[in-house]
Amino acid sequence: MVHDLKLGRSSVEPLPPKPHNLIPTWLIATLVILWLIVRDLEISFETLVYGVEDMAEYFSRYGQPDFTHLSRYLALMGVTLATALWGTMFALIAAFFLAPLAARNFTPHPTTYRIVREVLNFMRAMPDLLLALIFVAALGLGPLPGALALGVHTSGFLGKFFAESLERVDQSVCEGVAATGANFPQRVMYAGWPSILREASGYTLYILDRNVRMASVLGLVGAGGIGLALHDTLRLFDYGQSAALILVILATILIIDHASAWLRRRLT
Amino acid sequence: MPTISIRSVSKRFSNGFEALKGIDAEIRSGSFTVVLGPSGAGKSTLLRLVNGLETPTTGEICIGDETVNGRNLRHIRSRVAMIFQQFNLVDRLSVVTNVLTGRLAHRSWIGSVFYLFRKEDIDIAQEVLSRVALTDKAWSRADKLSGGQQQRVGIARALAQQPKVILADEPVASLDPISSEEIMILLREIRDQDGITVVVNLHQVELARRFADRIIGMNSGKIVFDGKPEHMTPSVLRTIYQREGIEDDPSLDMALAYA
Repeated sequence: MVHDLKLGRSSVEPLPPKPHNLIPTWLIATLVILWLIVRDLEISFETLVYGVEDMAEYFSRYGQPDFTHLSRYLALMGVTLATALWGTMFALIAAFFLAPLAARNFTPHPTTYRIVREVLNFMRAMPDLLLALIFVAALGLGPLPGALALGVHTSGFLGKFFAESLERVDQSVCEGVAATGANFPQRVMYAGWPSILREASGYTLYILDRNVRMASVLGLVGAGGIGLALHDTLRLFDYGQSAALILVILATILIIDHASAWLRRRLT
Repeated sequence: MPTISIRSVSKRFSNGFEALKGIDAEIRSGSFTVVLGPSGAGKSTLLRLVNGLETPTTGEICIGDETVNGRNLRHIRSRVAMIFQQFNLVDRLSVVTNVLTGRLAHRSWIGSVFYLFRKEDIDIAQEVLSRVALTDKAWSRADKLSGGQQQRVGIARALAQQPKVILADEPVASLDPISSEEIMILLREIRDQDGITVVVNLHQVELARRFADRIIGMNSGKIVFDGKPEHMTPSVLRTIYQREGIEDDPSLDMALAYA
């Protein structure tokens, strides 16, 4: 038996040389870079350790949330939700018109495709916090600049998502509609959107979900809603009210998060 | 009535494959022509060129006195309908909407992008659906139908265009024998009753013999036979189905013995 095994082994071809595994190299390089950063920026973990006690003291000030103005907070949360909803609506409308131009299989011209793709990239690259600052300066305080900022930033996202879904539409479906003589808008409406309707609704819900979270923060730069109120109470060192506001925001975000996850599951 | 004229057409794809090597043919209006040949002979490419889904590398194709080119595609396609092997319906849309797609070239985009159609278009859809016997499936989603039914929707869409020519690219290749028979009879009926020119790509010799007025045999991008079905002798079949570089092909003899 042993003899046979040996014989068998010697007649089997040796394995080809093992390919190089680059993971350890990359891991070491990453660790070295992280260490260099800590050294260079003088990030001191001792401060963190010594600071724990101070931080605990600071957080304890939020211990007694003050819900006396709850109805006002809920109204403000409503404004924030409305901001997010309108921002998403702007994005949806813009993406609806831009995405087909940015999908290789639908676009009327390769140059149009290139230009619209770049426009979408640019929109995506502008952080919404920065956009909100610009719009607040231009339009004044309130929910409108917030909605615009969210709209511009997320049009870039939705436009790209939709365009990529459109590009995955089966070529045979596109040809079936094109072969009847349908023109660009007709091809988009008959071969394009119906084929990606579910996917597109899923993306839109995800963007709405994200915009609700972001709209709460945008208030901090003056774009209305509950964020603005939180900004004010924090400035006044009113920890009770701040705590209540934070809790309202957290609860809303959790609810929206679960609702949108549930809806998206239903869609797919 | 338009005649399809194919004038010294060749097609080379960007990957270098030469699908058609100089094709000349006239297809009379109101005729039922079958293009027969093995897979890869260039049958599909030929049909796609006529509908403008591909553009010829050299030569030209005319429908009546109109040359197929990029500028008149919408007009050409409104008169030259196409039926596909994989039906190419929009799965998520209802049968009726798929059929109404056939009306798009006749209407501007303004109403049609909102899925609004004129009464006359709805009437046409209703009429062609009853013709392919699918009235009861009108509101079903297209992908809920069987293959044979989906192909009938494809035919209804083509009929809704009220075309002069119907091109069918392997319309029965994905169907069972019974459905294939139904589809071929339907196509033949369309030619007989409406006088629509029908060009069908097939690879089944038996179906070609039974339904065609004229058979065009193709092999590796060239026309190797053009004539009536009764002139298609075993030796002609050998030329059509001959594989390149193989002189004595036992599997060919076997296959043709049963054709």
